[in-house]
Amino acid sequence: MPEGIIVIGENLSYILGGLWVTVAVVGGALSMGLGLGLLLALGQVYGNRLLQRIVGVYVWFFRGIPLLVLLFIFYFGLLSALEIDLSPFTVSIVVLGLISSAYQSQIIRGAILSLPEGQFKAARSLGMSDTRAILFIILPQALRLSIPGWANEYTIIMKDSAVTYALGVTEILARSRHVAERTYQHFWIYILAGCIFLVLTYIGTKLLQRLEEKVRISGYAH
Amino acid sequence: MAEKVPVLSVQDVHKQFGDTPVLNGVSLDLFRGDIKVVIGPSGGGKSTLLHCINFLVKMDAGNIYLNDTRIDQSRKRELYAYRQKVGMIFQDFNLFDHLDALHNVMIGLVQVRKLPRSEARQRAEAELERVGLKDHMAKYPAELSGGQKQRVSIARALAMEPEVMLLDEPTSALDPELIGEVHEVIRAMAALGMTMLLVTHEIGFASTLAKEIYFMDGGRILEQGPPQKILFDAEQARTREFCSKIGRLNENSD
Ligand SMILES: Nc1ncnc2c1ncn2[C@@H]1O[C@H](COP(=O)(O)OP(=O)(O)OP(=O)(O)O)[C@@H](O)[C@H]1O
Ligand SMILES: [Mg+2]
Repeated sequence: MPEGIIVIGENLSYILGGLWVTVAVVGGALSMGLGLGLLLALGQVYGNRLLQRIVGVYVWFFRGIPLLVLLFIFYFGLLSALEIDLSPFTVSIVVLGLISSAYQSQIIRGAILSLPEGQFKAARSLGMSDTRAILFIILPQALRLSIPGWANEYTIIMKDSAVTYALGVTEILARSRHVAERTYQHFWIYILAGCIFLVLTYIGTKLLQRLEEKVRISGYAH
Repeated sequence: MAEKVPVLSVQDVHKQFGDTPVLNGVSLDLFRGDIKVVIGPSGGGKSTLLHCINFLVKMDAGNIYLNDTRIDQSRKRELYAYRQKVGMIFQDFNLFDHLDALHNVMIGLVQVRKLPRSEARQRAEAELERVGLKDHMAKYPAELSGGQKQRVSIARALAMEPEVMLLDEPTSALDPELIGEVHEVIRAMAALGMTMLLVTHEIGFASTLAKEIYFMDGGRILEQGPPQKILFDAEQARTREFCSKIGRLNENSD
């Protein structure tokens, strides 16, 4: 048993080297998912029928296919078919980002729809354009309401990021596996990997909780 | 002498939701300084009328004129300019929940009228002071009473310097003891000569202010006239029935 601990000690810095890869994949995917998800949500709430349909199909598509299958479709299928050369790292961010955008669009859409519609009306009655009303009245509130949903989305993407190991992205799981195969300390090494993910999800959700408290509207009970 | 031109002229407005007709040709004129009150049973189309006047609900047919200019709602700039000139007060206030009272009033000045922030702030402070909320400017809607919220919303509308105010049951969501403070603000607006179209069930209050009362039912103005006539000597049976009911209600609540 102490041998496992020793192996962990020897390889900790190598495995933790994957931390930055994991954080970059997750950060990239969540940012991309937010930007795209926001546009999708706006399209679905305020767009015309056609746009709503398109968003609906998009969401259905990216929520309905397993991550690993999508990674393979993009990396082994699409890229070679289109003769584009992207690293597994980039493809992972893009695929996770697309999936996350589908989920985030529904978080934001739900938040927008939960706002009393009278505020939009009031903004328009002041002579505000729809765009400005969305930008200055709707989104500041909808984004606040989305934070708990993001905390959830963050943990999911964080955990999903381990799957990118299948493309050879050298994130935490890939490095752990590498060490485990070499040292035969599977149990201890994967426990370590699990702990690293636990810490990462914990830190992220805590930070989002902080953010939620910080931007909480005075007098507003949730 | 030339005919006086109404500030706001509403002509033959029709609206139906699905297959249900809600407005069946409503016309009315407001001249400068006019205060006209709309009464009528629930579902009679009063709110829909006010929304149509502000183009918040798309009317099926009809025209709106501001100072003799027909408003074409497909011209966005024209529409936005028109809405600034026509202030709207809602039954449930519709304050922006993420902004304090001051910024609720400021946002229209900054985002719509493009005033510099410092100037907008000054104006907003003055408007809030006018409605008696000098000491509550930093409070968020959730921290204000209903009466205070409605006064903020009036300040927000007045800050845009409207020529006409449309008020849709401004006190009906309020506890009885808070109605007075809002009535006081409306009275002050009236004293300054504001042109107003007011939907209300507070007929006592209405009759002290209004020059004319419209009785609306089934999407039509069934009868119109000076308060005394509509309330106590109406021609139509429907009007008499409604007014006696509402009169009894108001007596009971005293
Ligand atoms: N967005 C809408 N979609 C469908 N029907 C609507 C809509 N808005 C109003 N209506 C219907 O139109 C009719 C008139 O409603 P409106 O709110 O204008 O009445 P009101 O006179 O203001 O009543 P109240 O005194 O209760 O406020 C009602 O039958 C209502 O159900
Ligand atoms: Mg109404």
